[in-house]
Amino acid sequence: MPQVLTANRLQIGEVAYWAGAKGWVSDFADAQILDDADAEAALKAAAEWVRKGEVVGVYLFDVRVQNGAIVPVKIREAIRAAGPTVRRDLGKQAQHVSL
Amino acid sequence: MYRYDEFDSVLVHERAEQFRGQVARRLSGELTEDEFKPLRLMNGLYLQLHSYMLRIAIPYGTLSSRQLRKLGQIARRYDRGYGHFTTRQNLQLHWSQLPDVPDMLVELAEVEMHCMQTSGNNVRNISADPFAGAAEGEIEDPRILCEILRQWSTLHPEFSFLPRKFKICVIATEEDRAALLIHDIAIKAVKNEAGEIGYRVYVGGGLGRTPYLAQEIGSFVEKRDILGFLEAILRVYNEAGRRDNIHKARVKILVHQIGIDEMRRRVEAEFAEIRKSQILELPAEEMSRIAAYFAGPVFATPPAVSPEFEAAKRENPDFADWVKTNVHPHKVAGYAIATVSLKPIGKTPGDCTSEQMEALADMMDAFGQEEIRVTHEQNLILPHMLVSDLFALWRELVPLDLATANHGLVTDIIACPGLDYCDLANARSIPVAQAIQKRFADLERQHDLGELKIKISGCINACGHHHVGHIGILGVDRKGVENYQILLGGSGAQDASLGEILGPGFDSEGIVDAVENVIGTYTHLRHDGERFLDTYRRVGAPAFKERLYAR
Amino acid sequence: MLVEVKAGSARIVDDIFTTLADGEPLPDGPVIVSLKRFLAEKDGLLARAHPLGVRLETAESPELLGPELHRLAAVALHVHHFRDGRHFSWARLLRTRLDYRGEVRIGGHVLKDQIAFYARVGVNVFDLAQNIALRDIEAALSEISQVYQPSVDGRPTIQDLRAARAHGALVPPT
Repeated sequence: MPQVLTANRLQIGEVAYWAGAKGWVSDFADAQILDDADAEAALKAAAEWVRKGEVVGVYLFDVRVQNGAIVPVKIREAIRAAGPTVRRDLGKQAQHVSL
Repeated sequence: MYRYDEFDSVLVHERAEQFRGQVARRLSGELTEDEFKPLRLMNGLYLQLHSYMLRIAIPYGTLSSRQLRKLGQIARRYDRGYGHFTTRQNLQLHWSQLPDVPDMLVELAEVEMHCMQTSGNNVRNISADPFAGAAEGEIEDPRILCEILRQWSTLHPEFSFLPRKFKICVIATEEDRAALLIHDIAIKAVKNEAGEIGYRVYVGGGLGRTPYLAQEIGSFVEKRDILGFLEAILRVYNEAGRRDNIHKARVKILVHQIGIDEMRRRVEAEFAEIRKSQILELPAEEMSRIAAYFAGPVFATPPAVSPEFEAAKRENPDFADWVKTNVHPHKVAGYAIATVSLKPIGKTPGDCTSEQMEALADMMDAFGQEEIRVTHEQNLILPHMLVSDLFALWRELVPLDLATANHGLVTDIIACPGLDYCDLANARSIPVAQAIQKRFADLERQHDLGELKIKISGCINACGHHHVGHIGILGVDRKGVENYQILLGGSGAQDASLGEILGPGFDSEGIVDAVENVIGTYTHLRHDGERFLDTYRRVGAPAFKERLYAR
Repeated sequence: MLVEVKAGSARIVDDIFTTLADGEPLPDGPVIVSLKRFLAEKDGLLARAHPLGVRLETAESPELLGPELHRLAAVALHVHHFRDGRHFSWARLLRTRLDYRGEVRIGGHVLKDQIAFYARVGVNVFDLAQNIALRDIEAALSEISQVYQPSVDGRPTIQDLRAARAHGALVPPT
């Protein structure tokens, strides 16, 4: 199953996604989709960012294709990507159209 | 209410500076996250799904207007303009940023507030009856002991790294408005035959994965001994509580494992030594000094009946509805205890905007209310309103969406933040609360149903207190999909009981229908005057199960 | 780095002890051994002409040392993970009911932020894994300048200071 690597930015606490060469991005849409081999490498690379104090709580989560788009399998990750479902005016969803 | 002297004030300022240093060490990399996490938790700072969450301590749920106004300002300046009142009488800000927190702590310190020990494995915010100082039949103001315990437990050198969190609650009436027995230590002020006030102490309550009600460990602990007795309990727990498994680390597990008699034996042995040393003996002088802060307002002697109030009820049915549920008798004639509902239909239970906080602070000043209280059911209380002022108060609350006339009714739902906010959650709780509220919004129907406490948690940690809801709802993750289990028959009042799981759970679509079905069984089977809880206790689960799961 | 703490000040001290693993042969000189080894080889260890210390893990109560506790020059509390707070109670127990007068040291995973608490409950020597400036240790000891609770260190509490002030006594300088 394809995966995405995520973490929270240490200072502002915001959700971030691993985008490979681009480092950490804020939008799920820009995240790098990882197969098993990539995932290992990404975790290793991410550890450096943890050590540097940029991010905390790095982990992988599953994604799948739905209607031609990549979406998280778990609702928890959909919520992390967008913001609270009960406050559409807050979080990333309020900044632009996301999931 | 308690006012800091310069010792208290210096301490919270120093703690804020200490935290500033800890944040700096984290940002410089001197502290790893593993090392920093317990330190930031000791200052109430969580990393949640979207952002940091800062939990501000509101000792025994009491705030002055100055403090409430400052909370509104802090929420606006550093967060997203609102806060969430919790089931432990605290306030949470959900959008904090790490570098801001030291400054937020300094601003809080300026109004005698802090975030110490609102999380972490230490003694947490000590909760109390929100009607303290106003309720009939109160033996003494329970907050006197709460303040004494707050100081004793703050930065305690021996008990800052306990096996797990430790929650204490104090009440002083027969009525339990604070869910007493679900606490690690529960204390009830009582009188002995000689009329002396002492404390009945219980230990080992707690919800979560394995809920227990606290059991009596001391039937009458004298005032001068209470600190020593509590220290003994904490010491036994710190030494013997499990450290190998986070889910088995609360004192309730220890009590269950060794039994209450053995627990009592150990505590009494430890207490005997403490008592001999006399170092924790509480001087009557100190108790009186603290008690003086809780003497309460000087009450006027208004007439027992207020003609304006009666007229307003007659002329204004909406006001009359509000009075029916949200106004409670006060120990002094001509006064009343008013509940400000934070449960408007379709909003987030317990949330309060900066505008609302500031407006409430202004109302407090206008109506001479020195204190406002936070309840564990996520509402606010104005404890000493003149009956003749109630209509004017209500008129100000209405445009602010703070006048929902639903205290204790089916739409007065307790809900944790759940998967919309919380890193620990398995399911969302707020949308379920909102959907139930909308289904039962009709006020007449609500009045027909009477007292009906629904409590919703988004995970087994039970911050929504679902085990003690008349109807409890527990959100779980069932194969990646949100699923909701129904528990019935819990109570957090003096008739405390833990709810029983009814049967298989329901998905987001089905849970509201299921709740309506369960309530339908109640209306079908109830006798005159029975609340939902009473009917359930009389007929038991089978009737409810049958009607819910019959297909 | 071994630091001795006394009345709010800190100084680096030499470690006269060798901490031994269980199988390791005894050298000439003071040693610290595990509780298990102490209980197994007690007579022999106590008969030596050198100071003896025993190391306690967080699950090991000082009561397990028995009456020979008072013949020990040091009790070395070892912390595997700083979250485990049992040693705060064990240190207190050593200094109060067990009336132990020797060195109580703490080592292992100890955070600077815990030093003040450990010092209050009777730890007088810190075996710190990382190098912390003495200045920083002393700052850690005093960053919260007053205390609410009485403890082993006998410091006047905020309550004591309030009572003294109420009775017109001069507030003692800290």
